[in-house]
Amino acid sequence: MTAPLLSVRDLCVDYATGDQLVRAVHRVSFDVGPGEVLGLAGESGSGKSTVAFAVARLHRPPAFVTGGSVHLDGVEVMALEGEALRQWRWRDLSVVLQSAMNALNPLLTIEAQFRDLFEAHGVRDRAEIRERSAELLRMVGIAPDRLRDHPHRFSGGMRQRLVIAMALALSPKLVIMDEPTTALDVVVQREILEEVTELRRRLGFSVLFITHDLALMSQFCDRVGIMLKGELVEVGPPAAMIAAPRHPYTAKLWASLPGLPAPETVP
Amino acid sequence: MAFLLRRIGFYVAAFLVAATFNFLLPRLMPGDPVDVMFAQAGTALPPESMEALRATFGFIDQPLPLQYLRYLASVFTWDLGLSVKFHPLTVNEVLLRALPWTLFLVLTASFLAFAVGTLAGIHAAWRRGGRFDAVGAPAAVMLQAVPPLVISLVALYVFAIALKWLPTGYAWAPLLDPGWTPEFVGSVAAHAVLPVLTLALTQLGGYVVTMRNSMINLLGEDYITLGTAKGLDDRRLRMAYAARNALLPAVTSFAMTLGAVFGGALVTEVVFNYPGLGYTLYQGITARDYPLIQGQLLLMTLAMLTANLAADLVCLAIDPRLRRA
Amino acid sequence: MRHVASTLLANPKAAFGAAIVALFLALALLAPVIAPAAPNQRVARPHEPPSAEHVMGSTRMGRDVLSQTLHGARTSLAVGLAAGALVTLIGVAVGVTSGYFGGRVDEALSLLTNIVLVIPNLPLMLVLAAFIGQAGPWVIAGIIGFTSWGWGARVVRAQTLSLRQRDFVRAAELLGEPALRVIGWELLPNLVSLVGLNFIGSVLYAVVTEATLEFLGLGDPLVVSWGTMLYHAQSTSALQVGAWWEMAAPCLTLILFGSGLSLVNFALDEIANPRLRTIRVKPDLLALATGRRPA
Repeated sequence: MTAPLLSVRDLCVDYATGDQLVRAVHRVSFDVGPGEVLGLAGESGSGKSTVAFAVARLHRPPAFVTGGSVHLDGVEVMALEGEALRQWRWRDLSVVLQSAMNALNPLLTIEAQFRDLFEAHGVRDRAEIRERSAELLRMVGIAPDRLRDHPHRFSGGMRQRLVIAMALALSPKLVIMDEPTTALDVVVQREILEEVTELRRRLGFSVLFITHDLALMSQFCDRVGIMLKGELVEVGPPAAMIAAPRHPYTAKLWASLPGLPAPETVP
Repeated sequence: MAFLLRRIGFYVAAFLVAATFNFLLPRLMPGDPVDVMFAQAGTALPPESMEALRATFGFIDQPLPLQYLRYLASVFTWDLGLSVKFHPLTVNEVLLRALPWTLFLVLTASFLAFAVGTLAGIHAAWRRGGRFDAVGAPAAVMLQAVPPLVISLVALYVFAIALKWLPTGYAWAPLLDPGWTPEFVGSVAAHAVLPVLTLALTQLGGYVVTMRNSMINLLGEDYITLGTAKGLDDRRLRMAYAARNALLPAVTSFAMTLGAVFGGALVTEVVFNYPGLGYTLYQGITARDYPLIQGQLLLMTLAMLTANLAADLVCLAIDPRLRRA
Repeated sequence: MRHVASTLLANPKAAFGAAIVALFLALALLAPVIAPAAPNQRVARPHEPPSAEHVMGSTRMGRDVLSQTLHGARTSLAVGLAAGALVTLIGVAVGVTSGYFGGRVDEALSLLTNIVLVIPNLPLMLVLAAFIGQAGPWVIAGIIGFTSWGWGARVVRAQTLSLRQRDFVRAAELLGEPALRVIGWELLPNLVSLVGLNFIGSVLYAVVTEATLEFLGLGDPLVVSWGTMLYHAQSTSALQVGAWWEMAAPCLTLILFGSGLSLVNFALDEIANPRLRTIRVKPDLLALATGRRPA
């Protein structure tokens, strides 16, 4: 049994509203192994994105992480501060967000945005930056000469590919994907997920995959966690969960999908 | 660019509306339009000048549409007629004399207010809820509420009359001869301090609030969140990702409030007897010099439109999405 | 609507601002009763400094500044409210019509709005007032009202456009409700905070503009208002001879009243646009939350 890459224990996230702290995430614990895809499913408001943001240290007041620990590849994530935190960002953990429309700065060229990323992490040589950026674009199937374009010149699907390319720029160990394909057409959704699977095979990163789309989840994830009102009620491989759900909510969730195809085991 | 052409077309239309307004006004007032327009002239103008003046404003012996065309012809050749109060000067000559002073006043004050205000707005928005924001934001809003008139009067009284630190009015000491002598330039500078600072102060609140709100509105955007997640350093994120994007609506908003700047400049000039367009307009109004007043409106409208065009060009330069969609 | 009002008053800034505005309204209404003298009555020597007898001093003509200020409030506030109402009314009417009906109507009205916006306000009003001659307060209210509605129209139009797409509006239309009813019952209630913002801003603008126009000599000098007070002070060189109180009184009232309105507006803005709300986390809550660890 290999040591987990990501280890979350008793994570608690609160929101300060008016006079009280409202608990959004309560004692959530789970692991993600090296090269594994863990999905987090649940309705809106269940706290799945909140968990993801907490792991990525992206919460700002009035949201606070008030308990628990997060270990990523030996690093105690919650203890990072200041410059150490800034440098840690993107190196081991990167993020792909939902809205492809707005994930890129509309005023800068793609090249400039890659350069910002590399320079922030100590890579200064212009030639090297250009080389690596071009390589990343090729990896997601975009011609390197498009580095000079601005984001609005790309279609939604291509923009999401760019965001994925950026997410892989520093060869992270874990990529958090928060509803990465929800805003895209169904056909494009498929393509992108297949490409991500292929990239995963090649580069070996783990994925924490947040979505409300159960069908997608059952096909793409090794294991799935079900979240309900801020708590993680069940974790396990999708097939097992459909066959023998342990929590009543899980049963209801899977049953709500008409004609769910037998989940393929993801290679 | 289609965008630019559309904007220019609109500006021409707006200018036409201003000119039409000028044309209709004397004709809509009770009484003989010619009397209304030129009553103050009295016998000050020789008959030929009077004739020329009437023709300029379309008071020819023709049906109304032709009068309108005659007037438009004057406007588009920038023949604004003779000034009644400053006879024998033409309106153009009077305005041209005053224009440099107003330009100097408005540009200096605006630049100052923009620089300080925008930076303050960025800072306040970036550190939301911090001390600077908690104090600065409401302060800026309250500053905006103080009328330019009041700021000018208070500044005049406190600094020029009570403390006697600065001159009470005019653009230079009356006894000096204009020229590029250090004495004269120094005097001009000294006389400019209060009007410029006052005008800058009237605009400051607006810039702070606009930039702050603009920034706040986009701080929730994904590319900002992602920027933080990427580990971009604070300064780069704040300037190239947040501020640059916030600048777009701020510039557009600024162009639209330019009218208020002119209003403020007008008031400041009157309070400080500063010989710019505003002061000239004031003198024209007191003397009921309608050719001057109408010419002034056209000039100020033109200035507004030019400033708006400049703002359009700035947006075009900053935002790649506007170039050839 | 009630929700907006109660949220507003819970905000300390808004409550303070509202209190100031209410005070001014009360003083204006009670002026004939509480003013020590009639505004145009000679009751003292010229340019007497503030004293126990004349708390705000006297003008060049020996009139009591305090009485003038109180009576002037009536005129200034009345014009402010009237002009503000006119500006808001026209702006909302144009904005909603433009946003709701779209198409040609929208194009035409938008063009009109943009033109009105781009022509500088004060010079336009000055030209108008100059042609009219000595403009009484109501004429001034009209002048302000008919030239300054552009900003409100534009903002209301934008909001109408976004509301129009919402489900409850579409549902009402599908049910066959006539346009006027949809506008009145579905759209307008959702525009309340925006219209409120608009109105308060317009009142402030109107009061200031009226004072400015009168200061420049375009008003009726026989009327008593904060603007004409400034005009008389200016034409009798009050500042230059050191009678600062004659200028100070109307200046002070303008600042105070303006600040009051601004504060209410600032709070209303935060309500209408939740993003602008200053996120204040109570200190004990903050300590509780970060006693463990920050996010």
